[in-house]
Amino acid sequence: MPFLLDRRDVLRGAAALLADAVLPRRTLASAEATETRAIVVTFGGGVRWEDTFAPEGWPNIPHLVNDLVPQGLFFPEARYDGLTGHFNATGALVTGCLQNVDAYGSEAPTTPTVFECFRKERRLPAEAAWVVASNKSFGLLGGSKLRDWGDPCAANVILPKHFLLQAIRSAVATSEGPGVEDREALAKRMVSSLDEGYEGFGWKVHETGREIGKEVRATLAKSLLDYFNDPLVPTSGDELTYFMTMEIMSRLAPPLLLVNFWDIDVAHFGAYSLYLEAIRRTDRLVHGLWQHAQSLPAYRDRTTLIVVPEMGRDGDPSGNGFQNHRSGDESCRRVWLLAAGAGVPHGLVSPRLIRTLDVAPTVARVLGFKMPEGQGRPLSELAF
Amino acid sequence: MSPAPVADAASLLRQHRESLGRMPVTLRAFIGMEADKWPTFFAPEKAYLTALLESLASPAAVHVLTGVTLVEAEAGCRDVKESDPHRLHDATQLLLRRHGLLPRWRHEIDQVFQALQPGIDLALYPADAPRRVVVVLYGQGIAIQRDKLWARLRGIGRRVPLRLENVTGTEPFLRALFASGSPGRVSPSFGLDPADAWIVEAGETLHALCEAAMAPATGLSHARLRTYREALARSLYKKVLEGVSGPQELAAYVRELDLAPPEGALLRSDAVVRAFVRDVLLGGNGALLVNNTFVEWSSVQALKRAQPRLLVARFGVRDKMKPFSSLLLFSSPRPTDQVPIVEDPFGSFVDVEQLAYYVWLNAEKSAAYRGKTLYLFLAEGVDEMLALRPHAPEAPDAAGDLPAATLSEVSSTIAGWLGAAPGTLGAPPIAALAG
Repeated sequence: MPFLLDRRDVLRGAAALLADAVLPRRTLASAEATETRAIVVTFGGGVRWEDTFAPEGWPNIPHLVNDLVPQGLFFPEARYDGLTGHFNATGALVTGCLQNVDAYGSEAPTTPTVFECFRKERRLPAEAAWVVASNKSFGLLGGSKLRDWGDPCAANVILPKHFLLQAIRSAVATSEGPGVEDREALAKRMVSSLDEGYEGFGWKVHETGREIGKEVRATLAKSLLDYFNDPLVPTSGDELTYFMTMEIMSRLAPPLLLVNFWDIDVAHFGAYSLYLEAIRRTDRLVHGLWQHAQSLPAYRDRTTLIVVPEMGRDGDPSGNGFQNHRSGDESCRRVWLLAAGAGVPHGLVSPRLIRTLDVAPTVARVLGFKMPEGQGRPLSELAF
Repeated sequence: MSPAPVADAASLLRQHRESLGRMPVTLRAFIGMEADKWPTFFAPEKAYLTALLESLASPAAVHVLTGVTLVEAEAGCRDVKESDPHRLHDATQLLLRRHGLLPRWRHEIDQVFQALQPGIDLALYPADAPRRVVVVLYGQGIAIQRDKLWARLRGIGRRVPLRLENVTGTEPFLRALFASGSPGRVSPSFGLDPADAWIVEAGETLHALCEAAMAPATGLSHARLRTYREALARSLYKKVLEGVSGPQELAAYVRELDLAPPEGALLRSDAVVRAFVRDVLLGGNGALLVNNTFVEWSSVQALKRAQPRLLVARFGVRDKMKPFSSLLLFSSPRPTDQVPIVEDPFGSFVDVEQLAYYVWLNAEKSAAYRGKTLYLFLAEGVDEMLALRPHAPEAPDAAGDLPAATLSEVSSTIAGWLGAAPGTLGAPPIAALAG
């Protein structure tokens, strides 16, 4: 396929140019000022125990089971007791308090997020905390709207899948021109869209000056080209989230990062095989991110990784099955949590019952800042 | 004793005006909204609403309702003055949510139904109610893995070896299976009233057999509904492009959509069935998009709402998701697009194993089916089936202890179970499964 290779080479060349000319290799001063780093990755959409860490689920998460659990601390008994919608579930995770706001993301969390507390106490610039989310309704997840909090100290939020969808929608809007089969055209369309302003994609990028605008743009452009050029020919929203996260880590090295994968929510289509495939993909991407972190001096040996589903999904007999997460049954509530990296004991399993609400205070302890008293408690098993 | 049938919702509500006035306001709103749906109700749904109202009006219900009444008082629901049930519902739900009382209210409502349901079930589904049959078929083309076949039901059914003899291909298999106890007389509805014989399938082979045999049934075919599905998807996509604030706004838009399946798409096309199809396609997760989800969701809804005596759910091969464009919900392919449709036989097997299990699970949740139903799971071209019979202490999965049966014998077993008149030349029913 020489033609295809040629086109890919062109894209690769463009990526290289971008990387060398636009992006001098540096990490942010803010990031350097922080010793430890924390990366929280969610199995967004929600997964069931039986499809993941129950023995019959192990084939779906080979990297977690074989690679990450042995290097980390695993909590098989974690629980989420709040409203079983995506925004409220992840909102609880980033605030340490149960949330009861609009399920589709039109309202911000009602208590300060871990990002706001971090940036405010440490007086860090916007690029120190990022949310990279496949769920398009997470635009307001980076900060509350509370007085003295909110935008001035919120996280940057980007929604790669939503961005991708906008490009696809635009590509198929007419019968003219290249459609979605033409990856190069789609890539070009998306790169040029970056100049049109982030608000159209529901993003919140809190710029601190003109410089960061350019840098963020170039970072994202590079990640887009990497995504479209990848030999595995990725097409999913989570894979774009992965590529964008990797590039943000490489170029901006934020000390606090939340990554929300969300392909798993394809379960609503009712195809069990697609749901399992998405779990396997998420497993692969989590492992890839962790390997990437280990390859970067800014993250190696000083990063704590937390992997957790935002919630479960309905059980078979008592609920509506894997397709939904609305019954509130035990299968919807029961999740797990895996921690690895700096300050985490190796290869241990804690039988203690924890809650996803504990994630935010744990991150605060890892990074050494205070959060207002909430419903969650730091995981004492981690050495702070 | 079954509740006396009522001609219309207005009469029913008039009959119970007094008890409705005493009822918790949130329940009254629910009853009102259900009554509004009366014209699109199947007979069992009308009977259920009637029985529920009678149960709620009984003196024994007063104590059961106390918990809900207390939560409502705490939230201020009882001060809402609204006669329209939908607005009453919205206003009271908002109050419950604002006061953080929604979980407690849900709990109390659960308690009410837990207390009343056994009595309602007994009234509607007495022990001598007619027996039922659910047949779940895996269509040809699904990549069957014999060692994993019907794995979810392992241990609760009985595997019956089949002698397929010269039956090869989909149509001969289905002809033999639905010979209605008489070889040569194909009737997938087994002579039942069309309201009592439902066929839901991904493809349309069974529909064609029904038509050829002039066997009246209620039939839903994902394939035959293609133009209707596309019209619905186009409308939804247009609305999405115009901009919606969220799923609630989209749902409200959907409720107003005036689209109906085209002539000939359904085996029986009365207003209630048409409304059912529309609800299934628009309300059931991926039912609009994925054929097997459509089969499962339609089956589950039919079991719940129409409660047919015979349900045949026939799954097929799902198409693979198309790169990129499948991410765009409800969009149509461009005429200039070159990406071909590719089937996913392996993924389809994983899907239907789970979905077939859900059909059984949901049937067993209903008193109409529990303890009265013979379940048969077959895969076209596979020489065994799984049978689940009520109250039978089955030898788990033991296939070896049963003689191989022909599809005609399976057909006679279905006919016998339903009490359909056997044909004179019919094969005998399978003794181990006969009631």
